[in-house]
Amino acid sequence: MLQHRLGALAFSLVSVATFLLCSCARSRSANDSSPGSEPFFTPAHPTVANAVKEFLGWRATPIQPIAFPHNKHIANGIACMVCHTGVSKGPVAGIPSDKLCMRCHEFLASDRAEVKKVAGYFNSGLDVPWQRVYGFSPSAHVKFNHAPHIRAGVDCSRCHGDVTNMTVAVRAVQINMGFCLGCHRAQQASTDCVTCHF
Amino acid sequence: MERRDFLKFGVLTGATATLTACEKPVQQLVRFVPEEDFVPGVATWKPSLCTLCPAGCGVTVRIMDGEAEVVRNGQRGILKMGLAKKLEGNARHPVNRGKLCARGQAGLQVTYHPDRVSGPLKRSSSRGSGDFQEIGWPEALSEVVTKLAELRSQQQADSIRFVTGEMRGHRRELINQFLASLGAPAAVQFAPLDEPVLRRANVLAFGRAAMPSFDLERANYVISFGADFLGTWNSPVAQSIGYGEMRRGRPGNRGKFVQVEQRMSQTGANADEWVPSSPGSEGLLALGLAHVIVKEGLRSNPTEINSSREVEEKLKDETYSPTQIATRTGISANRIERLAREMAAHPPSIAVIGGTPLAQTNGLFNALAVNLLNMVLGSIGSPGGMFFAPGASTVKEASSANQSVDFVAQVLSGGLENAEVLFLDNTNPVFAMPPSWQVSQKMKRTPFIVSFGRFMDETSVLADLILPDHSPLESWLDDVPESGTSEAVFTLAAPAMRPLHNTRAMPDVLLEIAHSLGGSVSEALPWKTFEEMLQASYRELARAERCHPTDGFEKFWGRMLEQGGWWDGQCQIHSPESPALEFQAPEFVPPRFDGSEQEFPFYFQPYVAEAFLDGSLAHLPWMQELPDALSTVMWGSWLELNPKTAEKLQIQQGDLIQVRSRHGSLETPAVLNPAIAFDVVAMPMGQGHAQFGRYAAQRGANPMSVVAPLQVEQVGSLAWAATRVSLSRTGRKGRLSLASGALYEQEKELELR
Repeated sequence: MLQHRLGALAFSLVSVATFLLCSCARSRSANDSSPGSEPFFTPAHPTVANAVKEFLGWRATPIQPIAFPHNKHIANGIACMVCHTGVSKGPVAGIPSDKLCMRCHEFLASDRAEVKKVAGYFNSGLDVPWQRVYGFSPSAHVKFNHAPHIRAGVDCSRCHGDVTNMTVAVRAVQINMGFCLGCHRAQQASTDCVTCHF
Repeated sequence: MERRDFLKFGVLTGATATLTACEKPVQQLVRFVPEEDFVPGVATWKPSLCTLCPAGCGVTVRIMDGEAEVVRNGQRGILKMGLAKKLEGNARHPVNRGKLCARGQAGLQVTYHPDRVSGPLKRSSSRGSGDFQEIGWPEALSEVVTKLAELRSQQQADSIRFVTGEMRGHRRELINQFLASLGAPAAVQFAPLDEPVLRRANVLAFGRAAMPSFDLERANYVISFGADFLGTWNSPVAQSIGYGEMRRGRPGNRGKFVQVEQRMSQTGANADEWVPSSPGSEGLLALGLAHVIVKEGLRSNPTEINSSREVEEKLKDETYSPTQIATRTGISANRIERLAREMAAHPPSIAVIGGTPLAQTNGLFNALAVNLLNMVLGSIGSPGGMFFAPGASTVKEASSANQSVDFVAQVLSGGLENAEVLFLDNTNPVFAMPPSWQVSQKMKRTPFIVSFGRFMDETSVLADLILPDHSPLESWLDDVPESGTSEAVFTLAAPAMRPLHNTRAMPDVLLEIAHSLGGSVSEALPWKTFEEMLQASYRELARAERCHPTDGFEKFWGRMLEQGGWWDGQCQIHSPESPALEFQAPEFVPPRFDGSEQEFPFYFQPYVAEAFLDGSLAHLPWMQELPDALSTVMWGSWLELNPKTAEKLQIQQGDLIQVRSRHGSLETPAVLNPAIAFDVVAMPMGQGHAQFGRYAAQRGANPMSVVAPLQVEQVGSLAWAATRVSLSRTGRKGRLSLASGALYEQEKELELR
């Protein structure tokens, strides 16, 4: 209930602010005497709806270019870190380039439709345009780093759900500040603001 | 990916490859070896070199794994690769010592510019129409090879011309070796600014065709004649560091700085004293100062020079006395005397000359006079004085004396029309030369033009073939900074990232052409790639350089790539090697101006724009966005005139003014600047491109369109500050974007109310 109210409040605030900014831009350009001048205000979001969505944390479900079966790869004994190589080393887990896919799939299961798609990208010299599944909105100013979480023994599934049963990755866990803090408190990890927001 | 995982994969793939595809398993395996190994989200720093101006600063590039939008084999998509994200100064580089100017920062935008030429192009309709079609590299190269082979078989190799921008190091060396092997004349360097005049003067005075360096850190008194040495001139970052030390780095001893110029530059705004002498009289003023010092016996540190006594006698001549020159220079005799006494009483003192005084018809006289003042001040080759960076021993002397001369001479003598094949690299003479020299029309008659341009500019658009070069961050680079350092410096950089587009490095293209031509040309250039050439040449350096510890080439090369070059603090300041072979007091030559004083009452001074230099950086949006340091104008061009002059002509800030000379006219908005002489109007260079990408095209006006085709006497380069103009109102308002809103705080407040 409280969440709904907050959402509605935020919505009205955002709409008022956007309206004010837009009308300000219009009036400025109308008064400007110099010929051919453009409005000085450039919105950071293409549409108001887009701004509202970001503010409320609504994100569209990503549609991946290839129906990648996580479950089959894991069942074949390939650990998460084989492909998401950065996870234990730095902030970003990383999505493998198609070169890594083709190390096996040049010869393995190369007759499958989805594998042929990967090969198609590879042969044209391009990478697969994977869509991002997780992530924070830029305005949240969150600097997440995978490596310390892996070092602390947090299991991947804690934040990413049971990938062993997924084909393409879906946002199984809603990651917001409450979720992060819950775990940080339980683990007695720092809950200082600047641990994540800097 | 862990190394072990990779090996496992390698074995697995290798085995499968052998089983399934029997033909070439080794190649199959090699195909999958990753070209780069980045930890996603973690930045690495690679050294590189800034090529946006001739200073040659070392930079470090922040590289991160990222997704680039690219076109491969006609298909648009993304590619995961290491991408350059940010440039900073290389902290270990002796020229810029970790600092980088705003222009250098924008070097990143050369790589990611949306209007880069992304693959080879061939002209598809009439010359200059801008219609090109994409072709493949093999066809493009075979066209060049056929043309060159044909010329060689007809013994016409001497009709090959190669015009480049200012360049040093092995790129230049390779071009010249390529041309020599073909039997073609050496490359012509086109330096549109004042460098050729100063080089010529330094040849005459010191026997060195180089730009000078200044030991500002230890100087106590600096007088600069028109040189914007903190903003655009020579090695601005190195000079700014030195200047900062001189002013604030020595507690209790703040050096004095005097600037002589007619329009206050960014450098002039820092000065303790601003001396607006009349245009072209800077050399006379320098001799006047020298006269006072010699006559009053104020020389504190006399440099022993063969002709010293004769010169002194000549300087004592009354023609150079302050009272005699006061009217001509517009500076009172008292002031001249005071300045002379001050600079003699506070050694070490330095005199610097650059910019407009060198762009007068008597530019060479001005330069020689200031060199002489330096000699009188005893500042040549001494601590706190001027010197030349040590000459490079493997890479040939950085520059030759008469670069631009050659180009102007080529244009005027019809050398361009006689050319059968014209190569263009990193130069835009059509934009930088006055239209009355008809560079464009003359180039249009050349049968075959090949441009290595990364962007479609006014000169490249005339080409038959465009073979786009990699961006600097994608290339092997090396450089021998000509000034700004007292050490011998070789900057060397491997590519910081893989190429985004279907471009090829110009040196590699030349080598490929040479190998396709075969025979003696191929033998003269035995290297497969530019990298091989660099290695071969620096192997010599590792062996020969006297300052270098001898621990094997591999280590030497690795260290060079790691730190971004090679330099050695033990190779100390070299004074000019043969000072003053024939140091004579130059005869005063009055400046000539194009146009009569009655009809054209104002001196027209184009000046080197902080953001664009001569115009070669106008395509970078960050540079368009950079407010001019004094007027704060962005995204356009403007004309600066004194408010009193403006009042007389009833011109207000922002009014669109027509500037007219005997050779053309242009329209641009007025900016009222109290720090400009009453009879001088000034305009920044660099805008007014007909084409140079979306950010520069059709923006502002090019001052060259009114500049008269006068040449600097005895040098031959363009005297771009020797034009007189008239002003008239158009009755319309111009478009002026001011970052500050107004020039004065008061006005700003009024505007806000």
